[in-house]
Amino acid sequence: MLPTFTYVKPASIGEALRELATPGARAHAGGTDLLGCLRDRVFTAQKIVSLNGLSELHGVSDLQNGGLRIGALTTLAELAAHPVVLQRFTALAKGAGAAASPQLRNQGTVGGNLCQRPRCWYYRGDFPCARKGGDTCFAKEGENQLHAILGGDVCVMVHPSDTAPTLMALDASVRIVGPRGARTVPLDAFFVLPSKDYTRETVVEPDEIVTEIILPSPPAGAASTYRKLRARGAWDFALSGAAVMIARKGKTIQQARVVLSGVAPVPWRAPAAEKELVGHELSEGVIARAAEKATVGATPLSDNAYKVSLARGAAMEALSELRGAG
Amino acid sequence: MTMREPNIYRTESLDAWEALGYAPDVSDLPPWDKTTIVGAGVPRIDGHDRVSGTAVYTRDLALPGMLHCAIVRSPHAHARVKRVDINAAKAMPGVHAILTTDSPEAKMPWILTGQGPMSQLLDPHCRYEGEEVAAVAADTPLQAADAARAIVVEYEKLPMVVDYEAAVKPDAPKVHERGNQLAPPRTSQRGDVEKAFATADAVVEHTFHTPCELHVPLEVHCSVAQWDSGNLAVWDSTQGVYAVRDSLAVAFKLPLSAVRVTSPFMGGGFGAKLELGKYTVIAAVLARQTGRAVKCALTREESLRCVGNRPANTLKLKIGARKDGTLVAIDGSILGAMGAYPSGATSSYLMLDLYTCPNVRMVDSSVLINAGQARAFRAPGYPQAAWALEQVMDELAAKLRMDPVELRLKNIPTVSQLRNNQPYTSTGLADCLRKGAEQFGWAEASKRPASKGHLRRGVGIAAGMWGSGGSPSATAIAKLYPDGSVNLNSGAADIGTGTKTVFAQVVAEELGVPVEKVRIEHADTATTQYSPSSGGSQTILVNTPAVRAAAADVKNQLLALAAEELKKDVASLSVSKGAIVIAGEDRTVPFAQLRSLAQRQQLVGVGRRAPHPPGKVALPFAAHFAEVEVNTRTGEVRVVRFVAAQDSGRVMNALTFENQVLGGVAMGIGFGLTENRVMDRVTGKLASGSWHDYKVPTAMDFPVDFTLVAVDPHDKECNSVGCKGLGEPATIPAAAAIANAVCDAIGARVYDAPITPASIVAALASKGGR
Repeated sequence: MLPTFTYVKPASIGEALRELATPGARAHAGGTDLLGCLRDRVFTAQKIVSLNGLSELHGVSDLQNGGLRIGALTTLAELAAHPVVLQRFTALAKGAGAAASPQLRNQGTVGGNLCQRPRCWYYRGDFPCARKGGDTCFAKEGENQLHAILGGDVCVMVHPSDTAPTLMALDASVRIVGPRGARTVPLDAFFVLPSKDYTRETVVEPDEIVTEIILPSPPAGAASTYRKLRARGAWDFALSGAAVMIARKGKTIQQARVVLSGVAPVPWRAPAAEKELVGHELSEGVIARAAEKATVGATPLSDNAYKVSLARGAAMEALSELRGAG
Repeated sequence: MTMREPNIYRTESLDAWEALGYAPDVSDLPPWDKTTIVGAGVPRIDGHDRVSGTAVYTRDLALPGMLHCAIVRSPHAHARVKRVDINAAKAMPGVHAILTTDSPEAKMPWILTGQGPMSQLLDPHCRYEGEEVAAVAADTPLQAADAARAIVVEYEKLPMVVDYEAAVKPDAPKVHERGNQLAPPRTSQRGDVEKAFATADAVVEHTFHTPCELHVPLEVHCSVAQWDSGNLAVWDSTQGVYAVRDSLAVAFKLPLSAVRVTSPFMGGGFGAKLELGKYTVIAAVLARQTGRAVKCALTREESLRCVGNRPANTLKLKIGARKDGTLVAIDGSILGAMGAYPSGATSSYLMLDLYTCPNVRMVDSSVLINAGQARAFRAPGYPQAAWALEQVMDELAAKLRMDPVELRLKNIPTVSQLRNNQPYTSTGLADCLRKGAEQFGWAEASKRPASKGHLRRGVGIAAGMWGSGGSPSATAIAKLYPDGSVNLNSGAADIGTGTKTVFAQVVAEELGVPVEKVRIEHADTATTQYSPSSGGSQTILVNTPAVRAAAADVKNQLLALAAEELKKDVASLSVSKGAIVIAGEDRTVPFAQLRSLAQRQQLVGVGRRAPHPPGKVALPFAAHFAEVEVNTRTGEVRVVRFVAAQDSGRVMNALTFENQVLGGVAMGIGFGLTENRVMDRVTGKLASGSWHDYKVPTAMDFPVDFTLVAVDPHDKECNSVGCKGLGEPATIPAAAAIANAVCDAIGARVYDAPITPASIVAALASKGGR
């Protein structure tokens, strides 16, 4: 079953970092992904370093500049129901609320959601795939109906997070601390494409932890949302999704960020779609053109061409919702 | 050994029983007219136990000194074991015994066929990913799992085939030496199909695919085995304690009396627990070796690979009718994937018997593949058949410009064409269609103009029936105690459907005692009376006549005693609310006050089921109506409204009846929209091997607007309680109704289940843009 490991629950970040620096140590937050991976032998651990004693990593607080600081241990359920998040960072509330199931949202943390491992059935299953140190991506010749149409390389997994695309659309940054100090990384630079390094999903090193997420104050006239498409009504990862933030002055879009989920190994920024939006009103025609551009460069595999339509559909739905709201 | 296919699914064996002239030895009771307790929504008598955690399932069982078993399984779809090294495992803490392909017990023959066994208990020739290779018994489940992992097995990989359509080709890798098709295709026909099609005004022909679906019962398969003086006792999460007992007796060469199988609380089976499993035999072998009780509890991952599935089908179907809608011919073929060992994989029953049609030809064939063996699954073959038949019926209606409900009503049979045109004791098929349509508002809904925009609404209908009327034998014993409480003893398993509650209601109704006074003792081959397996929608209809007869036997004895004691004419006495009622008198005499009952301490009544009336057929029918909303931007399909009209005869319990139908429809939603076992085409290993990737529908996928229409034709002939089967007909047409609704919504048909966003995208594209 589970591998044999020791368990520690440090009371300070410093102590946690020291524990994490020991061989075979892994950080534990909500545990909804970690325990499954250990049980399924996706990877192993000699020491589990629980972060749950670090009270400073909990909760949501307002920043003086109108932004928001979200502790990495804040649960998805807390985010989905948080009044300020719901009102001013709507996409995030929707993303957190669309993830998993109520039980998992009560347990799962936003930090863990960003750092979760791929959900690809080859990665999780008994297949020695490239990301686990093997020499092949089984999905390429195999069952790739759920896999990437964009950004694939040695590995064609899709990034499973529903909060990541929304945080990226909201221009969030992540604070990472480690033995070499602390750094703040914009979400745009947080995830790692397989072409750069197919053995990792984020820039977080094994001896570092994510402590908080910083959301800047939304620009004037901003509105955001997230639309997730899935095969069943709950407890399912996105077949495709679109997180959108637009800032309008009058009716004209000043700023736009469009991020797709479920279609690439990282949350996929769609700059071509953003370009279609900026300077225009959110008309039906503009929405259709932006949605069309959202998947520019897509190279579907044998069984996942439908995801091109779905990603465009998700973008259309999200933009149409904002049009209705604006 | 197991090996005996569950015969409830074979109509020919029913006919064979009928030919035996089985004679009941209990006088038939006249059917009830009105009932007060039977039919009421009595909450489950074990509901609190089940939801509070006090119910002891096989998995919860902990016997003194009990060991735990873990099984080593082939990681390859097709391979030969070269070498097994248990040295490391043997030395691990807590390990008591290890079985491998080299052990003498491993040679126990498995899957008996006319041409000899097809496998053995631990077979070095592994024919699917998950085939058993070795097993460990250890003090704790974790020790057993760790030791199993430490067993080193060297394999030689062999060419494999998991695509069943490829497996029929002559050059396909062979799953067994004797080839992938063990029998020639079976043709069922009547009339002259070719001639008939020449007279048809409209003909529709299509090919359909249905996916491999997994049972995923909440309680995963589990057995506990223990030996005592050469007798074998097994606690098993099973639908049929007697079926498992019979197979265990063969496996261990024991008389039936030396094998005791018990199924305490049971957490669902759907057909996956009708037979003896290897895990049970392995537990028994290890128990004999160690002299301890041994538990073998499968993991969810094992269960997804190794203990059955609804086989994938390819269905080709051609149907023709005259202008007025009269069907003239049905012609088709079904190919089903058995998995690595023979199993029923197709059923053309619906094509042959649902509608009146004089000319039918159906060709059924099955093929072996390197995947887990199929097992009976809630109406084996029927949802697949309905998926195809009810969609071509819909297209036929469109071609004839007829209402789909009208087309079906035009072709309702009153006799079973498959059984020498014997009449049905009752057929509520027309009523299901009519009353369901009325409840649904079909006439109006089906004429709504096509919706514009990206959210498209559509409605669909599908009909179905279930072709098994149940086994002929069942016995029950009722015991009335001096305090007026009752023990009802029956071998039936309550697999989560509420069987025990319905039994208590039947006793209460017949014997005039409160439901709370009835205690059910069940599902134990040593102490309870014979019942066929709880499958084939037969549990209630087969057992409740026996239960009623047992209660009536007790009642008759009680009334005779009371007449003597009270010095009354027995004809003037009756029972109600635990007391003797004397006609014309105000007073009643509680059972507990009868001295003659106290003196005897108990009255024992025996009841047996009488078979169906000779020359008649008693079967259940259904019609389902669905409304869906399809988002053409995203391919999402939402079932927004559903009406299920069921003719299962008398409603025995309003709550469990609705429960069954809700569950059946939910399962149909899974079959139609979300569930699909995906095998990796390159390695032959299971890709969808987790709860995330094998998508059972959730509560969010079920429509809030759901209505059940119970159509009771007041069948006075089917049996003494007037009920027919329900579990299976509740799921058969559901997915097909949804498919027809999707077609109505988007104007394009999806021929392959499940209908996913991908298939909606493809259907819209084939139609030419959105």
